[in-house]
Amino acid sequence: MPSPEDRRKFLKVGSFAAATGFVGNLLGRDANAQEPMQHSGMKQHDNMPQPIGNASARPEIPASSEVAAEYEGFSRFKPSRGLDPDSDYYIGKLVPGFRKASDGPAPFEAPDIPTLPYKMDNGVKVFELVPMAVQQEFHPGVKMNVYGYNGSMPGPTIEVTQGDRVRIVVTNELPEDTFVHWHGFELPVQYDGAATLTQNPIKPGKTKVFEFDIHEEGTFFYHSHVAMQEAFGQVGWFIVHPKRVFDPPVDRDFGLLFQNFHIPPTHTISDSWSMDWNWHTINGKSGPYTTPLVCKHGERVRVRLLNFAPMQHHPIHLHGHTFWVTSHEGARIPKSAWVPRNNELVGVAQASSFEFIANNPGDWIFHCHMIHHMMNHMVKQVGPRMRDDASVDQYLANLSSRPQVDASRSDKFATPGYPQKMQGMEMSEDFMNAIWSRKEVRGMRANYAMSVKGLMTVLRVLPDDLYELVMNSDQPVEKGAVFAEIVRRFGDPGKYEAAPRMMM
Amino acid sequence: MISETFPTETEVQGYRLDDFLTLAAQNNPTIRQARLQISAQTAKALQAGLYPNPTLNYIGEQIGVDVEGDKDSPGEFQGMTVSQRFVTAGKLKLSREKYMRRAHISEHLAMAQQFRVCNDVRIHFFRALAAREIVELRKELLKTAEDGAVTARELYNQGQATRPQVRKSSIALQRARLDVLSAENHYRESFRRLVAIVGVDLTDGVVSGELMPQGEPLSYQEAMSLVLTESPELAAARAKLAADRVTVRREQVEWVPDIVAEGGAGYNFEAKETTAAAGVSIELPVFDRNQGTIRQAQLDYRRQQEEIRRTELMLQQQMANVYQQYLTALQIATEYDRVIIPEAELAYQELLESYKANRVDWPTVLDAQMDYFDSRLTRVQHLEQVRTNEVLVRGYLLHGGLMAAPGPTPPGHIDAVAKPR
Ligand SMILES: [Cu+2]
Repeated sequence: MPSPEDRRKFLKVGSFAAATGFVGNLLGRDANAQEPMQHSGMKQHDNMPQPIGNASARPEIPASSEVAAEYEGFSRFKPSRGLDPDSDYYIGKLVPGFRKASDGPAPFEAPDIPTLPYKMDNGVKVFELVPMAVQQEFHPGVKMNVYGYNGSMPGPTIEVTQGDRVRIVVTNELPEDTFVHWHGFELPVQYDGAATLTQNPIKPGKTKVFEFDIHEEGTFFYHSHVAMQEAFGQVGWFIVHPKRVFDPPVDRDFGLLFQNFHIPPTHTISDSWSMDWNWHTINGKSGPYTTPLVCKHGERVRVRLLNFAPMQHHPIHLHGHTFWVTSHEGARIPKSAWVPRNNELVGVAQASSFEFIANNPGDWIFHCHMIHHMMNHMVKQVGPRMRDDASVDQYLANLSSRPQVDASRSDKFATPGYPQKMQGMEMSEDFMNAIWSRKEVRGMRANYAMSVKGLMTVLRVLPDDLYELVMNSDQPVEKGAVFAEIVRRFGDPGKYEAAPRMMM
Repeated sequence: MISETFPTETEVQGYRLDDFLTLAAQNNPTIRQARLQISAQTAKALQAGLYPNPTLNYIGEQIGVDVEGDKDSPGEFQGMTVSQRFVTAGKLKLSREKYMRRAHISEHLAMAQQFRVCNDVRIHFFRALAAREIVELRKELLKTAEDGAVTARELYNQGQATRPQVRKSSIALQRARLDVLSAENHYRESFRRLVAIVGVDLTDGVVSGELMPQGEPLSYQEAMSLVLTESPELAAARAKLAADRVTVRREQVEWVPDIVAEGGAGYNFEAKETTAAAGVSIELPVFDRNQGTIRQAQLDYRRQQEEIRRTELMLQQQMANVYQQYLTALQIATEYDRVIIPEAELAYQELLESYKANRVDWPTVLDAQMDYFDSRLTRVQHLEQVRTNEVLVRGYLLHGGLMAAPGPTPPGHIDAVAKPR
């Protein structure tokens, strides 16, 4: 199967008609489905954008796959439970993905985090890892000074298969000692990386080689074993795929790495001594700059979620789906112990795997439920932002003389506790351009960025044609068009309300 | 609140420093006083050099003496003589020179008086200017305090401030209002004092100008050499020494006797013919050769030498104090200008931007705003110090433009004769 990037390139050189044909064939659709839809003259609801994609396409099983659409009353294409809680297919528990186990594990995909390349040396996978100071763009234009590896924070993902032997050459480019710990591995103690208990520090500019066999499978990670360096961002995925693909096989294997920092206002350097944490990142980005996870309707999805916050546990909630917790960091959980949940508490330095069938199309928020983590800073909502007549710009326009404040109180203040609504920050045009520059967000509601904040990202479950349109085509997609199309097909288009287009 | 109306720029006339200096030159009474002192001394010089008048005498001698053919004659001699004192040794010239030199002292003192007045005008002008700017800054701080009170109520309604905190913000607000009132009162006072020195009746007005001095600051050596070479007070003391030298010379010739000659004609009833009379008198300086007064004049001369030295030292002492205040205030104001205010402004700006980006809360911005306005207030207060002390440093430490202009002579001088000498 070609990689998504290759497909994207192919689609760029071919015509869109050819592209739909390709997609149509891939999905085994009939000839009609291959014709681009003629939208002009179609009657549409006042609010609704023009229909897009191939509206007549029905969710179907790809020809290449042998899976079923329904298992004991559980449908992979619509929200459903199944008939029996004791069934293996209850809430899609063991419903397989489209991908065959024989194709090997689904590629691990942690948005915004690169993969660490390796060289083979006599059957050993050799990785080079460089601890260093890194500048990381948490938000468009908001570049923070943190520590990471190989120019990345979090560090690049090390991806291996159970049974591999790895050699990791660590060269310390920090101006201070460091240690690297391979979190969760049952390796010979001399390579464990625990500061001075098992090894001497890696001095600045010096190199240390770690080499060990991997007999485990699971979600691991590497991190500095110097507490403040951990707090400063030094962590990366270490994914070990099982030698034999787990049953049932998944189509998607996503990774979300949660971190917290305390970065004072007007600053770019985290206070690693802080007991309070105001910047929250997923894979090094803070909502709404987090990159949505995009999958196809009916796929089996795994999300591995690692909480590498310094001291805060995160109750993680996914909307629109009930997921099974199928493993924690060190090992896959026997199926008999899997738990279905909407919200999983992930403690510090814990990783949980969520598996579910994406049977409910839409843009679903995936977030920590701690309300103070659902935004980037907690600031008191007083001052011009909540006053009717004032914007901060009038203060900035003339620093030497401030505007008069209106001391009269509106009736709204008769309500104790008013206002509780957190007023959003004023997002610049550059900021919004950067948010909308990513293909993963194409067709989302126009003001989605107003609500996806802090430890929040979005799971997008898209019908095949819309998936291709969003992820693999260069066709312009109007803001809100994909969302509206999903409402048109799966929801209640008569009650559709478009997003106010205040934000671009 | 009890308050007077406060003038605003648009309502009343604006005045610059030059306007006040011009007005003061025309209207301050002490400047005229000082000029009158010069005239008084030249009048005295005129008087001192006037030649003594001749004396016309009628003489009737031995009235009733019996002469041949006439008992009870009208007298032996009946006639008129004229006597004239001939002043010797250039006494009148010396006296006139002495008073001319005193007039010269008065000229220096008049110059000093002009500096006293101008310096006072400048000082009170800069005080008024500073007071004016302080009023504006106090008004900004009042707006911040108003915002603080509104913010406290907003916080209170969200459970984020207690009732005492709201009350505290009311206190801060009322204090800020009082600060504005007292700043306004202080401005009025400064303006009225300025107008009093100028010597004209101006009602309300506003002053305009630049508080920050332009050009390089004076070094202590420059300031000291300026005052030692150019101070009108010192010049007056030196002129006084010259006058005292003449006084010595004048007293030294005082003992030289004038010649008084007398001559006339009359009728001699004894000889029955017209006869003439003549006489010359001269005082013999046997006992009184004016030696006491000469000595007194010489001692006065030496006293004046010490007076010059004393004046120099007094100026040095004052300069040490004034220069220190000038330098300290200049250092503070310059660094407020160069570093502290720009930093405070940037802090305020950065926090506004952070607030805009939802990163800090408004009370933090208000704190920064208050710091920024407050540091500007401190700058103005120090610039006022810079300017008042700079005026003294450059103006030979002279001030007190409403004190009566002094005369040329301190007590202890020889003036106790009817005719000045
Ligand atoms: Cu959380």
